Amino acid sequence: MWRKSKPYLLLLPAAGTIILLFFGGIFDGLLKSFGYFPAIGETELTFAAYDSLLHSGSFWESMALTLRIAALSSLLSAVIGALVALALFFLNDSMKSASPKAWHRLFQLPLTIPHLVAGYIIVLLFTQSGFVSRLLAAFGWIDDITDFPVLVNDPFGWGIILTYAWKEAPFVALMLYPVLSRIHGSWREVSRVFGAGNWQFVREVVVPVMMPAWAIATFIVFVFTFSAFEVPYLLGVTYPSVLPVYSYQLYTSGTLSDRPEALAVNMILAAITILLGLVAYYFSKRWNVLKGWG
Amino acid sequence: MSDLRIIDIEKRYGAVQPKNDASFMLRPVRLSIREGEFFSLLGPSGCGKTTLLKLVAGLLEADGGEIWIGDKNLTNVPPESRQFAMVFQQSLLFPHKNIEDNVAFGLKMQKVGKKQRLKAARDMLEHVGLSGFGSRFPDELSGGQQQRVALARALVANPRVLLMDEPFSALDPGLREEMRELLSRIQKEFRVTVLFVTHDRDEAFALSDRIAIMGEGALRQVGNARELYERPDTTTVAAFLGLRNILSGALENGRFVSSDGFLEVDGISQLADGDYFMVIRPEAIKTAESDQSGHVRIQGIVQEMKYSRGMYSLKVRAGNQLLECLFTTAQAEKTTVGEAINLLVDMKEVRFLKE
Repeated sequence: MWRKSKPYLLLLPAAGTIILLFFGGIFDGLLKSFGYFPAIGETELTFAAYDSLLHSGSFWESMALTLRIAALSSLLSAVIGALVALALFFLNDSMKSASPKAWHRLFQLPLTIPHLVAGYIIVLLFTQSGFVSRLLAAFGWIDDITDFPVLVNDPFGWGIILTYAWKEAPFVALMLYPVLSRIHGSWREVSRVFGAGNWQFVREVVVPVMMPAWAIATFIVFVFTFSAFEVPYLLGVTYPSVLPVYSYQLYTSGTLSDRPEALAVNMILAAITILLGLVAYYFSKRWNVLKGWG
Repeated sequence: MSDLRIIDIEKRYGAVQPKNDASFMLRPVRLSIREGEFFSLLGPSGCGKTTLLKLVAGLLEADGGEIWIGDKNLTNVPPESRQFAMVFQQSLLFPHKNIEDNVAFGLKMQKVGKKQRLKAARDMLEHVGLSGFGSRFPDELSGGQQQRVALARALVANPRVLLMDEPFSALDPGLREEMRELLSRIQKEFRVTVLFVTHDRDEAFALSDRIAIMGEGALRQVGNARELYERPDTTTVAAFLGLRNILSGALENGRFVSSDGFLEVDGISQLADGDYFMVIRPEAIKTAESDQSGHVRIQGIVQEMKYSRGMYSLKVRAGNQLLECLFTTAQAEKTTVGEAINLLVDMKEVRFLKE
């Protein structure tokens, strides 16, 4: 009995902390989003916060902006990440020297930089008074630094998208590269002998093989960018703001009565993330693309 | 005629190759393989046979020489345009494609319509005894079945030449035998030209119309199985073909005397005087009870007797030499290990070589 339950008992402190903080936090947020706020005398459970949110124009604008930024960031990261992974794969294939390793390390570099620092790098590079616009002005490609497009703190969110593309593309590449490295070196020879050129090899073998990992990596990037706070807070505009920033703005607005709405935003974010996770799981099962890997 | 001609093709490996291959070099090879012929490259590991096969496939770039098929020079044609097919040591099927799609891969690359290529794939799977397996995935098949699929994939594209790189070496002996029979039948049926690489003598002998023996990056001898076995040009070829009775000695005035002086043979008038190696095939040695005309008598002590597939292999100490002989069960029953034995060597079956 003791031997059977020992591992569970040993895990209990860690598991307890996680359950208490994670699920406890979610449960507390859920209760408060339903208007349960004993501090201000509210003990009744209502959908008022959700109702108010779903009828608020600001919420839907935030939702649209969040979805747009998350979708474009994921798409850009997925494409750049796949290209980087493919470049590393073919580089490794064609070169016998240490160069591929050096390239590999270089592409891993953005992974080590925190998101907040990445955001500042984008600020330094892409504001109208930033490094890129000054360089372009110095070379005479633009007349004045004000001619440089507004890419940071812009309503579309280009600054945020650029930051995520730069930060997450190596993550996608890193997820794909081990899958690509499983591709048998001789498969290239097989496909060549049977008449496949480079492009056909990529289409017939490489892409189908990397598809599941690619989809999962892109999904992770989407979910992360969908619910991330610090980069949009630093590089976004005050209105419209992405949902996590919108929630923060509501929470710190000064009135306790806005807090259920702030927490309702978080609950909606969590619900959408779970829903997307289920959809991704369903498709990964249905594609069945891992079949045959044994 | 679409004969495959390999004209002085050569390959040197530079410093970027792994250290153990740094000095390897394929010396100029000249071969002509007839259309529909089953031709094998036979040699020990590392002798350059796979390098030669990959040069023919175009997977390696030659440092010199040319490859022709019929009147077309293929030397600078990339592998994807040569219309060859290849079966490797491992089946190398694509794990994400089902069996039918794997077999139809070459046809798909040739832009053959889906219906037509899948029908061709199904037909070819029937030829290799795998009808009904089309919708399965490679990991659901055994090693032997996977190699049959690889064979079907190679044949369905109707290749000018089928290249095979030790395709059965990863299979167990029973399966290997079965695959040989299948390949032999299919090759005759489709009249496809096959260039087959192997280090297995029995496999090459069982399958090939002609065989090229390779060693140390060079072509040693080309011929059919019987020619090579009975009339090897060099002791290296003889030794590789399993002929261990190689006695060095000198020939003077028609008389050969082995280096240790134990064996003396008279009446060899057709050869000039000089140093020679006398190669005696195990089958050419009989017990002294047999007819003695045209034979040389040797006395020795039986050192070892081993039974294998209906015959006894004997090792007999004769002077400094250890001779290998093949005896029938009846002959072997009359002798035991440690006993003196009188042997007769049939001189018609003996070959004298300069190197």
